[in-house]
Amino acid sequence: MKRGGKRIAGFVLLWSFLGGCTSLGGRFAPLGAPPFSLSDVAEEGDAARRASVRLVLTGLDEDQALHPARALALYERALQVDPNNPFAYLALARHHVDGADPEQALAFLDKADALLADSEVRSPGLEADLLGIRGSALQASGRVRSALPLLEEARRLSPSVWDDARLDARELR
Amino acid sequence: MIQLDRVVRARFEGRLFQVPSRVMSAPTILYPGLDWKRIDLPATLVRLGYRESDGSGAIPVGYFSWGERKVRLHRRPFDHPSRAEPSRDVVLQLEGTNIEELRDAETGRELGALLLEPELVGAYYGADHEQRELVRLGDVPPHLIDAILAVEDQRFLKHRGIDFRRIAGALWVNLRSGRVRQGGSTLTQQLVKNFFLTPERSLQRKLQEAAMALIVEARYEKEAILESYLNEIYLGQRGSTAIHGVGEASWFYFGKAVQRISLSESALIAAIIQSPNGLSPHREVERATERRDLALRLMREQGRITEAQLEEASAEPVRVAKVTPEPRDARFFLDALRRQLPAFYSLETLTSEGLRIYATLDLRLQRLAASVLREELAALEKRYPSLVSKSGPPLEGCVIALRPQTGEVLALVGGRDYAVSQFDRCTQTRRPAGSVFKPFVYIAALEPVPGGPRITLASMLDDSPLEVSTPSGLWRPANYDKTFHGRVRTREALERSLNVATARLAQQVGISHVVDVAARLGIESPLPRVPSLALGSADISPLELARAYATIANGGIRPQIRTFEDVVDGSGRAVERQPIGFERVLDAGTAYLATSLLEGVIDRGTGAGVRGGGIRGPIAGKTGTSDQERDAWFVGFSPELVVVVWIGFDEPRSLGLPSSRVAVPVWTRFVREATGGELRGTFLRPAEVVEAEIDPLSGDLALAGCPRRAPEIFIRGTEPVTTCPEWASAGREPRRPGERRPNFLERLFQDWLNRL
Repeated sequence: MKRGGKRIAGFVLLWSFLGGCTSLGGRFAPLGAPPFSLSDVAEEGDAARRASVRLVLTGLDEDQALHPARALALYERALQVDPNNPFAYLALARHHVDGADPEQALAFLDKADALLADSEVRSPGLEADLLGIRGSALQASGRVRSALPLLEEARRLSPSVWDDARLDARELR
Repeated sequence: MIQLDRVVRARFEGRLFQVPSRVMSAPTILYPGLDWKRIDLPATLVRLGYRESDGSGAIPVGYFSWGERKVRLHRRPFDHPSRAEPSRDVVLQLEGTNIEELRDAETGRELGALLLEPELVGAYYGADHEQRELVRLGDVPPHLIDAILAVEDQRFLKHRGIDFRRIAGALWVNLRSGRVRQGGSTLTQQLVKNFFLTPERSLQRKLQEAAMALIVEARYEKEAILESYLNEIYLGQRGSTAIHGVGEASWFYFGKAVQRISLSESALIAAIIQSPNGLSPHREVERATERRDLALRLMREQGRITEAQLEEASAEPVRVAKVTPEPRDARFFLDALRRQLPAFYSLETLTSEGLRIYATLDLRLQRLAASVLREELAALEKRYPSLVSKSGPPLEGCVIALRPQTGEVLALVGGRDYAVSQFDRCTQTRRPAGSVFKPFVYIAALEPVPGGPRITLASMLDDSPLEVSTPSGLWRPANYDKTFHGRVRTREALERSLNVATARLAQQVGISHVVDVAARLGIESPLPRVPSLALGSADISPLELARAYATIANGGIRPQIRTFEDVVDGSGRAVERQPIGFERVLDAGTAYLATSLLEGVIDRGTGAGVRGGGIRGPIAGKTGTSDQERDAWFVGFSPELVVVVWIGFDEPRSLGLPSSRVAVPVWTRFVREATGGELRGTFLRPAEVVEAEIDPLSGDLALAGCPRRAPEIFIRGTEPVTTCPEWASAGREPRRPGERRPNFLERLFQDWLNRL
């Protein structure tokens, strides 16, 4: 191969590698991405969404204060205001992992995941929480083999949150 | 005497009061951005017993003032099983019909949301139809006890059940006037009379009353007797419901808990004991005021209040909360809720144990659904006189509204008039589903199975004559318009509700698979595995249909039907909870394809009347008319609401009209008035669903150069691989629309790869 052809081939290889990275949708996201915090998105969306997120935040406070029944009621109120608020389902999923109801946690997580698909707020930090909650729920339901890679990936993406393999209400808040 | 003693003990040592269980609505939530007009906030506040203030100075708890652009509301504290809410003084800044801002009036802090108290939906009454809120003696303000003793039995703490001095006094007054003007009964005697005896006026009954009063006083403390009296005394009437006890009366007359009533209000309660209806402060303000002033003077004479208190309380005008009749429109819902409660909650328990049940009901939607059904049925009868029943039960209907994500029943009306027929057509009846069943056939065919789904939305279905052998002979389905349409696209077949194409599709998919899909989505009724099932020959209930469509609206996640959140016992302890629960039963892609099909029904098909009725936003739905037009159905949903309407006769006979002219108008009016005509949200397209352009005539891919093109959606990888006939005949290399030609570098790289 001539010198010019080698240069072009090298450039093309680098270009296609970088393009491939991009198309993998963040698999090569930077390590230790900032944790996702619900407070950061509290002012986004329409009026119903904002009110609903605020109710979720209050619910997370109640969860943190070990008032699970109050927290649950607030998440349900949040859905009353905005039944498509993904963060209410996310908080419910987290709540049910803590409450040892992993099947319900997975169902809520599925719903949150579906509502967050293509969402602008889907950051690596949030990705870590989705993976981690799923991993925790699977682990709680005895599916350890499926759980561990997810928890490991969550830890890799957001070590400050997932180092202990659990998500506190405070951390989600 | 021994017998009387046994009777007294049995009552006092058993359950003293039968307290009907109350059902409360979901709380109204106020937040910035909410359209206050749509939820009719002023009426809601009045129904909740809030009183309007003139706006000057501070607003007391339980009051509101409504200004041009500002509402000030001092919300009462209230208990909720999950969270007790303290009283809160708030300011709502208004912009047009929207709440622009919500702030705490004291701190100025901005609030995200404010919960109002749940409204009373209804109660499970016993035969006596009494309502009371039990209070403990310690919760009753001393001035109320003083007022009652001053008016009814000033020597209560001194006598032993019978006050001979008072009897003598009353006798003297009555003898002098020549008629009965004054009674000599003590509180204990009044209590005994209410508990054990009839209102009959005879010497024997009077002696019995005296003897029992003596027994009660001998056996029980004054405090216990007084507490019983305060809970038992009759204090008024709300419709057919008798108001008993000072706890209930405080809410009824003043819209607040007994702990919070003023001296003047206490005097008013004491004043009307003599004749709660004749002295009703709702109707007889002047007489009630005079009598209240008398009660206050008696209190002063007996040294129970000071002169200053007398003056201040007498100067207070009598102001009472508006009478809000107990909602009658929710009776069907109350019955449905009772059936959903665990068996432990028998009717006896519900009518006596004073439970508080926090329901999912949206009382505004419930009222609306009831009135729309009633009025629209009447309008149908007027428009089509053949629908008027000459003999037998009249035209009936059902409306259910569900929140698809949570399965919460927001409204449920099982008939046009509960007073006439308590049979609930939403939950207690199963009727032939007709075409509202068809989507289950399409879902069964669209659902990915090993080897790929049987059809896509672009597949061509065969709508030509069909014969199916059945044990009862040949079955030959026909279309509503009595013609056959040949090859039709899947989308068109459902939009036009074609029977033959659907029946043939069900044969290809297999009836068992259709049954399986319907059951997964939420149909619990037994479904016969017969060819006609595809066209809705099975009997199903409106509620299960609502659930199945909620599963589609919810992206394939089936919600549990939920009519209540919590049950709280008489002492305020939560004893039962019905959490949100759901399960994925269908992949999100198929659910989205089904939703898209049903959107087409609204936009172009048999449900087009909905758009004509002025409803905007995302809607999907399906009409259904059963054999011989005996049942008219319409199920429609948005991302946040599923509503089912059924219209028909209890003794099935032909309506002579399709559902688009019977059920669709009811649905449209209900949804328009419930939402203002603008539906929120979007049906979220899952990542696995992609769009491609197809040739609408052939269902093939429309490549650049195809003369006809229409967008269609597919689960990724199921897009058509063949091209439109024009492409095939031209022999050109197919290229998808928008597909770009590789650039120089890409071609070079590809070339290099090829040479390796």
